[in-house]
Amino acid sequence: MARKTFATGMLDALGHSLQQDPSVAVFGAWSFIVGRGLPAEQEEAFFEKYGDRLIDPPTSESVIAAMATGAAVCGMRPFVNFGTSSFAFEAWNQIINETGNARFMSNGQLKAPLVFHMYCGIRGGGAAQHSQSPQSMFANAPGLELVMPSTPADAQGLLRTAIKSDNPTIFLTHTKLLQWMGDTPDGDFATPFGKADVKRAGRDITVVATSLMVREALTAAETLAKEGIEIEIVDPRTIVPLDTAAICASVEKTGRLLVAEEAVATCSIASEIITIVAEHALHALKAPPVRVARPSAPLAYAPTLEKVVTPDAEKIVAAVRRMLTK
Amino acid sequence: MTASLTSGERLALLERMLLMRRFEEEVISAAAAHKYIGRNHLYIGHEAVGGPALIQLGARDVTHSTHRNHGHMIARGVDPGKALAEIMGRVGGLCGGRGGTWHMTDPTKGFGSTSAMVGGSIGMSVGAGFARKQQGEGVSVALFGDGVLDEGISYEALNYCSKFSLPVLFLCENNSQEGAHITSMLAAKRLTDVPASLDIETHVVDGSDAEAVHETVRQALAKIRADSCPIFIETQLARWPGSHQMRPEHTTGVTDVTLAWDETRIAGEHDDWVRSHDPIRKYAAKLLSSGAATKDGLLAIDARVKEQMAAARAYAEASPFPPAQTALENVFA
Repeated sequence: MARKTFATGMLDALGHSLQQDPSVAVFGAWSFIVGRGLPAEQEEAFFEKYGDRLIDPPTSESVIAAMATGAAVCGMRPFVNFGTSSFAFEAWNQIINETGNARFMSNGQLKAPLVFHMYCGIRGGGAAQHSQSPQSMFANAPGLELVMPSTPADAQGLLRTAIKSDNPTIFLTHTKLLQWMGDTPDGDFATPFGKADVKRAGRDITVVATSLMVREALTAAETLAKEGIEIEIVDPRTIVPLDTAAICASVEKTGRLLVAEEAVATCSIASEIITIVAEHALHALKAPPVRVARPSAPLAYAPTLEKVVTPDAEKIVAAVRRMLTK
Repeated sequence: MTASLTSGERLALLERMLLMRRFEEEVISAAAAHKYIGRNHLYIGHEAVGGPALIQLGARDVTHSTHRNHGHMIARGVDPGKALAEIMGRVGGLCGGRGGTWHMTDPTKGFGSTSAMVGGSIGMSVGAGFARKQQGEGVSVALFGDGVLDEGISYEALNYCSKFSLPVLFLCENNSQEGAHITSMLAAKRLTDVPASLDIETHVVDGSDAEAVHETVRQALAKIRADSCPIFIETQLARWPGSHQMRPEHTTGVTDVTLAWDETRIAGEHDDWVRSHDPIRKYAAKLLSSGAATKDGLLAIDARVKEQMAAARAYAEASPFPPAQTALENVFA
């Protein structure tokens, strides 16, 4: 086991991928690698070793997404770092119409093995355009895998799988997770998609949480444990594919469901998970399921206005208490 | 006549162009017979661009095409039966009926993903150029119409290729020279002003002159392969009178190769297009007058092409629609 940050976990996965597969190329390399906590000499070594495959393109998101797709179809494995997820909206047409459809339209003759990485979530002071949580938009577009890791080990293992995958993968990193430390297996490893991870076992309520909300749920669990309430935190880790069996199994055990997601609640991943549980495990529910998510409004800049709508440990604690006292 | 083409190559080029034309005539005929939904963007009138340009490409060269892709497919040697079956939505089509007229592709003939979004092909062609440069062999050819330069991604694509010296031939088919259906609303005086402003070599060529296109593309490809650089070629065409949106009509009639030597029989509402712009009639007449072809030789070529298309039509019609239970296949690997 090694202690490392979420950011260095991802860099290790990228390093292993570049080392083992000459078809891996990185677009938007500088902003992904530099300033993420590596010692200066390790940053330099990255560029010395893989310089010809570490590319810093012009600010042209549309063509970057299109060229990654074209290159993937021609045998490369591009990793694209869009930076903030809002910037990927500039490439919406390419990601949805070209990347996600390429395999299906060609009846499986073509594949587009690439990763679109982007930073998402409420970062503090990002205001409306730099605080997006676009996960349900991507989940609604067929043909794209969707990954939302919450720990350094998951970040490393899932990124390794994403780069190896023959499908296009959207990889969402919450900005606030980057410097989170955690135990990580040694060496090169890959974590399978579609396998949820129970981040904390409990008997009273199933809390399905994604990305940063896993950390918030873990904080909430400490508070609630002091009150004798044990929540079970299920981290799906990948939204497409989604481990519905693990979610339903937990609800069968606890009889209650709360979904914590930072995105706007309307048509969210939280909505989808509650729907799936209603379809498959309604009989197990002892109380109506609850979403802890954002109201449908753009995010404001001022800290007071930001905090009041941001899902966090406090709001999870309050929702759990309400569910159990009803 | 261009020194780089032998007589045999000239006849082969004409035969390929005629196959492209007869293919589209079969598409119109199948639509008229209600064999499928019948929405298409046909390649008639463009044969002297796709034919001589794409017939030169090698196995490692990648083409990305558009909504007007039928001719590009046939030009690169795709099986016309499988292509027609795809347009008719059949399981025996190039993409098993999943792509249809808008998204035909055949990676065994060098095609990447075919996009029906205006500006779709030009972006992905940059990626093909990047890949082939990394891999050390092959070039990328972006096929697109004049309207694509109205899209922002064109500027991004041209800029990237110029900045990173990618081996991409931008082959623009400008069929908005005149008439009522102008698809380009560019403020620049010439389409080539845009790539030229980004330090890309540009050429303009008559898109109804097969050998002029062949030579311009031949020289461009040689330079792209040698120097790894982008080059932009604008081919200028008269829009085919049948090219209405969505439901083309065969307003100029089924192609009659004998008009190559008997101009007096050219008639009808669109006689000017047939006389002055039909690239196949023009090339056939040129080969006759230069002695490279004979009337009997042309008739024999046409007979072969008709036979090939009859077999293609039979194959396509015999192929069933894909089974409903396969609707969700091939979303993911």
